[in-house]
Amino acid sequence: MQTSASTAPKGASFFSETPDRIFTVEDFSSDDRLMIETAEQFSRNEVMPHVEVIDKQEDGLMPKLIKKAGELGLCGVDAPEAHGGLGLGKNLAARILEFMSLNGSFSVTYGITSGISQVGLALFGTEEQKAKYLPSLTAGETIGAYALSEPNSGSDALSATTRAELVNGQWKLNGTKMWISNAKWADLFLVMAKIDGEKFSAFLVERDRPGVSISREEHKLGLKGSSTARLVLEDALIPEDNRLYQPGLGHHVAFNALNIGRFKLASMSMGPARDAMGLAAAYTDDRKQFGQSISNFGLIQKKLATMAALYFATEAMVYRTGALIDSAFETWGGTIDGNRKASEEYAIECSACKVFATEAEAWIVDEALQCYGGYGFTEEFPIARHYRDARVSRIYEGTNEINRIFLADRLMRWAKDGRASVTAAGDSWISELAGKALATKPTDQIRVGACSDLVMLAYAEQSARLRAAQMGGAGAAMYDLFLNVANARAAEAYQWATGESVVLPAAKSVDVAELARRVAECRGPVR
Amino acid sequence: MRILVPVKRVVDPYAKVRPLADGSGLDTTGAKFEINPFDEIAVEEAVRRKEADPSVEIVVVSIGAGECEEQLRKALAIGADRAILVETSEAYDSPSIAAELAAVVAAESPDLVLMGKQATDDDNNQAGQMLASRLGWPQATFASKLELGAGKATVTRETDTGTETLEIPLPAVVTTDLRLNEPRYIALPGIIKARSKPLERRPAQTTPRLRTRVLKVESPPSRAAGRKVASVDELISALKEKGVL
Repeated sequence: MQTSASTAPKGASFFSETPDRIFTVEDFSSDDRLMIETAEQFSRNEVMPHVEVIDKQEDGLMPKLIKKAGELGLCGVDAPEAHGGLGLGKNLAARILEFMSLNGSFSVTYGITSGISQVGLALFGTEEQKAKYLPSLTAGETIGAYALSEPNSGSDALSATTRAELVNGQWKLNGTKMWISNAKWADLFLVMAKIDGEKFSAFLVERDRPGVSISREEHKLGLKGSSTARLVLEDALIPEDNRLYQPGLGHHVAFNALNIGRFKLASMSMGPARDAMGLAAAYTDDRKQFGQSISNFGLIQKKLATMAALYFATEAMVYRTGALIDSAFETWGGTIDGNRKASEEYAIECSACKVFATEAEAWIVDEALQCYGGYGFTEEFPIARHYRDARVSRIYEGTNEINRIFLADRLMRWAKDGRASVTAAGDSWISELAGKALATKPTDQIRVGACSDLVMLAYAEQSARLRAAQMGGAGAAMYDLFLNVANARAAEAYQWATGESVVLPAAKSVDVAELARRVAECRGPVR
Repeated sequence: MRILVPVKRVVDPYAKVRPLADGSGLDTTGAKFEINPFDEIAVEEAVRRKEADPSVEIVVVSIGAGECEEQLRKALAIGADRAILVETSEAYDSPSIAAELAAVVAAESPDLVLMGKQATDDDNNQAGQMLASRLGWPQATFASKLELGAGKATVTRETDTGTETLEIPLPAVVTTDLRLNEPRYIALPGIIKARSKPLERRPAQTTPRLRTRVLKVESPPSRAAGRKVASVDELISALKEKGVL
């Protein structure tokens, strides 16, 4: 189902209404599936066999892989057709991204250059700017990067101190940008700086401009194959035409790129989770103790079944959100103002996806490692890399804490402005709890954060429930297991939000062994 | 030159499948379907010919239900020019498939029929040979290398005793082995382009007359656990016990 433009639901309407139907991955067309298959084959054949050399940042390897992906059309899936992209939807682009993300280091490199480095340009660039930079980025011939954070400006992004001054018809930039993914091999940086120290604005900075340099690589816990370094601007000179969008409105560029970026990060974190599930399923089948496969044991089956349930719910909410974003772009997109509105409409859903998917990823890679026992703790087996790589997902693209503050807070502000409703749909126990918690109008961070958890769980539960009803088959069992997990989490969040006690509904009974068997059969997420 | 490539829709050869409870067939709910891998190699080979010589036209054909369109679109995305779907809900065995393909050949007059040596679902390895025989055309099976010249094809085929090189006049039937080539990744723009390539639906021209029928599908019996022996002597007496020695 493609949600028709005229009936695109309002942002955050999931909270107060239950739709009849949602888009799910089962609705992707056979053409879409062929494209997704190309992405998966690329990952399995071109990336996964080389993860060890990728982690050593072998010279030239990453740009070569990006170029190869570009030749297959993978670097500009949702970029405009006029500038070398395929002009397809963001939801399909996100699903392709998930399958391009089986390895974390490649995922970040690809995700940034095909995503957040392009989206600002595509949404806010002039035709000249797009024509100049997009074709080589979408072809994978050049690599893009996004530069917002600074040493003393992380979550508080608007406090950036990088300056831009117009001198003799050129912008002169000064400052240091921190945690710049792709810094080592990027040709183009989308840089946020304040004009005359005041007007927060976006700039397109080419790597070979005078005064542009890259510092040493950060020594990271994970994602060792991805480049992360500082971008140092010392009297860097760029043409006057390279300011992106209006002076003083750089936050529109930065934050709307981030809204879409958060949604896409959800897909990026599902890729490694997917691979980790496959690894755990294969290993537990293979590993014999007490004369049998350890996949025959209840506590291993519980892990595999819970992975399937968490993944199922994440997939339901993420691709439901992607279809909503596509419908918003169909409704309003095209003009710069329309693009801004479209990328902002589902900001609450995007934050919910980011937090929920990255935490599901963390749980899945952790338990997958546990399935390996002592071997999981060694570098001889592939699961340790997933474990290390996944850690940053909860930190970047807005920490999960910042997203939690933002989520419920924004919903309450929207309700005050009449833009959304905080009257809960009441279609689940979680929804009822979320409605009661928000009615207390919390203001302190701990209570707001707990309310965000309830809103997020309500969205995940509703998405999983609708998907299970639509797909049939194993959907029902995955939903039931997810509901048990989600209810318990909601009870805890409700206690934090209100200080009141709650009584959990009775747990659904689930055939855990059968679900675990399906994970083994599918070698990963259950279809 | 026109190359006709028959493609069969098969259950993903890497998927685990289970028989239906009543043994009437396979449980395909939720299963993924693919182009038979040998046929995909044939499509790839045809596309390589076309890349070397743009006058080559590639027609892909599938015989079966409407869902076969998926595999035909995939073949078009790889680079075939047009597709024919012979729509039927009948069951076919190899002789019936050869008969229906012969009707397609009569309508399309290809210079070469290039197809998989067998399908991964039933592993019959017969349709290509039967088609050649029915048409009275030369055939070269299990091709691991193919060269096309003026009015002839040179085919290297792998046999149990080594490789054999055949030269056959066209038109001919050539069946492909695994080592002929490695199919490419399907580029996304190719998938978009395939949407506007012609796909013609035709009714079947022949009625299948089955010479073989599938009576029952069941899983192979699970192997009973063996036992460990401590010494060669014990092994020999165990084998004697079983009457093997």
